Order: sequence, then structure tokens, then C-alpha cells
Amino acid sequence: MSTGADRPQGAIPAPVHWAHRHLLDVDALTRPEIDLVMRTTDEMRDVLARPIPKVPALRGVAVTILFYEASTRTRVSFEVAAKNLSADVVNIAAASSSVSKGESLVDTVRTIEALGADMLVMRHPASGAPYLAAEVFGGSVLNGGDGWHAHPSQALLDLYTIRSRLPGGSLEGRKIVILGDVLHSRVARSNVWTLTAMGADLWICGPTTLLRGFEAWAAHGAAGRRFTVTSDVDAALRDADVVMALRIQKERMASGLLPSLREYAARYGLTKARLRAANPDCVVMHPGPMNEGVEIAADVAVDPRSVITTQVTNGVAVRMALLYLLAGARHAEGGS
Amino acid sequence: MSEPARVGDVADGLVIRGWAVDPESGREGAAEATIHDGILTRMTWLTGTAAQGIEPGGILILPGLVDLHAHFREPGNEDAETIVTGMAAAAHGGFTTACLMPNTTPAIDEASVVALVRGATAASGSPVRVLIHGAVTAGRKGDTLSAMGELADAGVVGFSDDGAPVRSASILRNALAYAGALGLPVIDHPEDPSLTEGAEASEGYVATVLGLKGWPVAAEAGSVARSIAILADVVRDVPAARLHLTHVSTAAALDHVRAAKAAGLPVTCDVTPHHLSLTDEWIAGARRWAWQALDAQGRARDPWADGALVAPPFDTSLRVNPPLRSAPDAAACLAALRDGTADAIATDHAPHTEVDKHVEFGWAINGISGLETALPVVLAAVAAGGLPLARAIEALTTGPASVLAGRDGVRPGLRAGEPADLVVVDTGTSWTVTAEALASKGKNTPLLGRSLRGVVRLTLAGGRVAYTAD
Repeated sequence: MSTGADRPQGAIPAPVHWAHRHLLDVDALTRPEIDLVMRTTDEMRDVLARPIPKVPALRGVAVTILFYEASTRTRVSFEVAAKNLSADVVNIAAASSSVSKGESLVDTVRTIEALGADMLVMRHPASGAPYLAAEVFGGSVLNGGDGWHAHPSQALLDLYTIRSRLPGGSLEGRKIVILGDVLHSRVARSNVWTLTAMGADLWICGPTTLLRGFEAWAAHGAAGRRFTVTSDVDAALRDADVVMALRIQKERMASGLLPSLREYAARYGLTKARLRAANPDCVVMHPGPMNEGVEIAADVAVDPRSVITTQVTNGVAVRMALLYLLAGARHAEGGS
Repeated sequence: MSEPARVGDVADGLVIRGWAVDPESGREGAAEATIHDGILTRMTWLTGTAAQGIEPGGILILPGLVDLHAHFREPGNEDAETIVTGMAAAAHGGFTTACLMPNTTPAIDEASVVALVRGATAASGSPVRVLIHGAVTAGRKGDTLSAMGELADAGVVGFSDDGAPVRSASILRNALAYAGALGLPVIDHPEDPSLTEGAEASEGYVATVLGLKGWPVAAEAGSVARSIAILADVVRDVPAARLHLTHVSTAAALDHVRAAKAAGLPVTCDVTPHHLSLTDEWIAGARRWAWQALDAQGRARDPWADGALVAPPFDTSLRVNPPLRSAPDAAACLAALRDGTADAIATDHAPHTEVDKHVEFGWAINGISGLETALPVVLAAVAAGGLPLARAIEALTTGPASVLAGRDGVRPGLRAGEPADLVVVDTGTSWTVTAEALASKGKNTPLLGRSLRGVVRLTLAGGRVAYTAD
């Protein structure tokens, strides 16, 4: 384990307000906590700008990255983040299916802990799986995406990216659109929590079959946080300050949710023509991986308004911040 | 749990004073029951000073409870439950009659499996009456009818493919007609599987926020409407045909049942203790009763907004089929009990092992272990004003008995001169639901750790002690 002495003096603020041992969801994050993540990410961006982008903050900390789903960008992003903090990183790509799952998740997590892991970064196809891991793991669990439920680091990197692009860094009253397959999207769900927490005027848009349940969520407006749900893409994009397109997967056609990719692209694809309705400086985002020509036109993806590659860079900084804050919380608890 | 009592006759001259509820005679009030050699020799309704201090909030004397729907897992999955542990759970819960569902391995689809179960119940030494539902289709596969006549001769009390609906409308039609001629009901598990593939939680606000695949209300309501339409068709030719819908969980489906009853169709239904008392917000981490989760307008409150989330989310003991519903649906289950749309409260006691439950939420097996908490949960609904006590007890005794049409002498009542078949409950005392307190092998209940009012002191089945706390 690292100690306080390992922290780069003056470079990174002490995580005084961070009390969470795990980061499993963003629903309970308060605005000051989100601000702390943002400030810590600023510091990590500074670290990344150094000639040698490495600090010893997590020296001696064993981080296991356990992915039950194929992923390149998120897995590598966590790995780079942990290594930049000088953690010892172990990567496990686990095969998973509900039928032939072999060893149970509980046994796998106990084994990982017995092998000395202090922190567990986990991606899993079942919503809620990180809560099961956190129940048995003695260290910290960082949810790297679970089913359709949550993707905390993605939502926080999206927020960081949006703040860096909006004047004054404020989302208050800004119109932000999430466009596409929100039904199956953990990115959309986590963004609902963080973006509404920051006061954005959030719009959720897609074909009605892919919005299922979100009307009920919007009607409750959890904890007083309102957002708008619509299948009218033109209404959604009108005067938008930010638009985030989500990936459409081919399986959606097989299950009868959509007629065809072609029809989706024609009716909901983010094209330059559609973007004309938005604010001229509208920020274009996508969590990746993209289906160019389906949910986002190729020329939009590389348009100057697109921040898609910035999202990737910010992803490393946000994940460094999260690993750092969680390690600090473990210290505060006496490493329990 | 205290040591189970030696099974045998009650000592001479046992006298119990308490608040008796006897749906058969329609009487409720202070009473004194006298039991000699297992016979309820005298049932005295007290008045005046003799009745003073005896209230519904103290000792209750009730006819032995009847459960239309339980899973004892034997043969085939004795790690989860056996007939012996299931009978002990029933007795501990105040049930003197339990009807077993046929989704064992092998399924109860022919007389030889009935004989096997009967052998085990006889060998158990428990006086709890175990009745058996046979499968509707061979192997519960939904393709061809089971050996229904043979099963009827072997004494089954109904037919069900529970765990799954009878998918084929044609098979359901034939089953209703064939079983009707045998004088037996078809007990259907209403679910349209094309709407519920991979479903994890009731479709709506909570499932959406948690990213759980939704089980829409329409899957139950549509299936109920279809089955009722088929029944209406069958009864024209086979007036004795009867349909019972089990674990109905939604307002929409209950409305269909209500309308069918009003039209005079021979349909009955039951609701479970968990669907009337718990809601989907428990999966998010709330732990309040369904009636506490309603706002003044009768809508579901928002657990994320009002600080109701007190436990970690995704507790797999809450994974059950049909799934826990919204607070208004739970309220509709109580309303259906009040107005008689629901005839019975059935536990759907579904014990499972830790291995099958301590996994990811969506991969956990469906089911709640319910026999031992059913009565306290229903009493909680009564205490909250959701249900009159008499109606609650009716739904746990004469209601389910009427679905069984008096088969096997199931006639709940506090009748003097007959073998005592009753339960004595102390509603003034609470107990904590723990793994150790449960006689069932199935510790899979979301009520684990919760304190419940209503301690069963004594269960007498057919004049013999099935359970005693003393």
C-alpha cells in the first residue's frame, strides 16, 4: 500500500471529502463529490502533460482489472491510468455466459483477493454484478460498466469533457441530448444522474422502442431531477449545446426493436444536416465504439465540434482520479 | 427455533383462550378452545367479563392454514428442500395443508411420482396434510397432456405446469376440458413468455434505473385474458371446467379476473404474501412495506428522492417470478382480496440453495422461501389497515379450500367434536427472521433480519401436534 508520503507534494489535492470505499454507481454522488472528481482530474491532466506522465501515488497498490466483456478502450484506459499512478496491474479477461459460467463470480473475487489485490476494476454483462463483488471483496471495487446499469467512469469523463467545452464550465440550463439506444445503455443511465446533478437541461431521444422505461423514470424525476424524453429528434436537437450519440447494435434488429440499421440511420443518425438545428457550437460526443454511418455520420465524427478523441484522453485522467480517490478513502478507513 | 415437539397427542385438557377467527361459521371474537386427546371438544365464544382483555392484538386462534402453492423440491432437488423440511416449514408457518407443485425432477406427471411423494409424506411422521398437483402436460413440456385421469385416480387435487404457463392455447383448452370432466381445476401460471424472455424485474421506473430487463404487466394481463377467453369457450361444453390463476400480481390482470367473475365464469385466483407486501423498490434497496411506498394519490413514491434506500441494491432474494411489482400493483392485490376477486393467499414457497442465489441478480434462480413468513406478513397488512382480519384468515383457510372443492377433506374450521386442526398465534410478540429460525432449507427470503409480529405458538393438524414453540 502507498502511504501519504508517496503522494506528490502539492500536485494532487488530498481527498478530504471522498468517503466512498467503492465506486459502483453515480446515483448517490453529491455535487461537491462530483466537483472533487473534476478538480482531481484537472491535476491528473497536469500529470499527463508532463514529459514522464507518472506519479508514485499508488506505488505498491495491486489493481486487478477483471473484464467479463470484450472491451478495448475502457480496459486499456484503466490499465494506463493505474500504471500512471505506479500501481501494480493485473489484467484478467474472463469468459462469461449465464449458462456455462464455470467458477462463480464470488469465488473468482475471493481468489483475486487472496492473490493480493487491493483494488478491483470490473466490467460485467449483468446489471448489479459489482455489488456482489463488493459484498465479498476486502478492498475497493470500481465499476467499469455493469450490464445496462451503470458506467460511472464514462459518465464522469463525459462530464469532464463537457465542462471543458462549455463557457465557464457550467452545465446549468444547458441543453444536452443523449441520442440513440438508451434502453440498453449504461452510459445513458449514468449520464442521467451526473448531468441532472449538474443542472443540465437533459433530453433523451431515440425510437420509442429504445426509450422503454425512461418515460417512467422522467415522470418520477428521481430526487427532483427532471429530464425530457422524446422520439422527435428534431425537437431534441433544436438549440442543443451538446449531443451524445450512442452505439446501435445489430442485435436490436433481431429482437424486433428496429426495422433496420438503414432506417435508423435515416431517421436518427447524427448528420451535419440534423446538426444545423443545434447551437452552432454544439459539442458532439460518442462513448465509442462508433458505427460510422449509422448512429453518427463519418464527417460528423471528425468535425471540429467533435470531442470524441478528447473523451478518450480525458478517460485516462478521470480514471486516475477515481483510483486515487478510492485509494485515499481506503487509507481514511485504515485500509479496511 | 425451539426443538420441534414430539409428534403425538396433545395432553389432556389443553385450554386456549384468545381471539378466534372462524371463517366457516363467520364468527370472530373472544373464545376458549378446549382440546382433549387431539379433539377440539369445546369451542366457547366468550362474552361479557369473560371476554375482557381478549383482543385481536393478542393470541389468535385460527383454523389450520391452507397453502395452494408450495414447492418442496423432492424428488430431484433435495439440497433446496425435502418433503420433511417443507412440512416442518409449513407447520412452523401455521399451515396444516400444503399443495405441492409438480415441477420436481421428474415432474409429477404420472401416478408413480405421486406415490413417491406420498411415501415420503407418510414416512415424515408429520401430521401436516400434503396434497399434490399433477402436471398439465407430460414432463411439463407443454406439448401433450399428462396422464390426467391416472393422476386424478392417484388423488391429485389440481393440474399445473407452474413455473411456466401452458403456452399453447390449444393445449390449455384441452386441459381445461379434460380436467373439468375429472372435477379438477387447471392452475395456470399467467405469463406470456414472448414478452418476458430474459426479464429480471417488473418493467417500470425501478427496473429502468437499475438497468434490469423489464417484465411487463402486459405479459401477465394478456395471458390471464387469453386463459379466461379459452375458459369461456370450454365451459359451454364442459360446465365443470375450472380455471385457477396463481400468483396474480398486477392490477390489470386482477381486473380481468374481476370481470370474468362478474360474468359468472368458473375462475378463481390467488395472490402471494410477497406481492401484496413488497415492491420492486426493494431491489433498489428500499425496505418499507408496499403500503408505505404509496403517496397520497395512490402512486408509487420515489425511493431515490425520499431517502428510502437503506440496503444494497440487487439482493437476489428479491428475484422471483412474477417479479415484485410497483406499490399500486401491490395495493391492487390487497384490494382484490378485500372484494373477493382474489380467493386465496398462496405462498409460492420456493426454497433455493445459496449456490443458486449467491450469484449475479439476473442469473439468480427465481423464488422466495415463504411458508414461515406468510402469516406475519399478512398480519402486517391487516395491522396497517389494508385488509380486515376476517377476510385475511378466510383467504388463508376457507378461500383456498373452496378452490380445492373440499377434496381430501380439506374443510378448515373450528368445529367442536372433530380433531383439532388449528393454529395459535401470538400477535403481541415479534420474532426476527434468521436462517436458524427457519425450518425450511430455503433461507432465500428478503425478510431475513427483519422483525415480524406474530409468533406461531402451536400448530395442530388433524388432532396432532405439527409444531409447538413451547
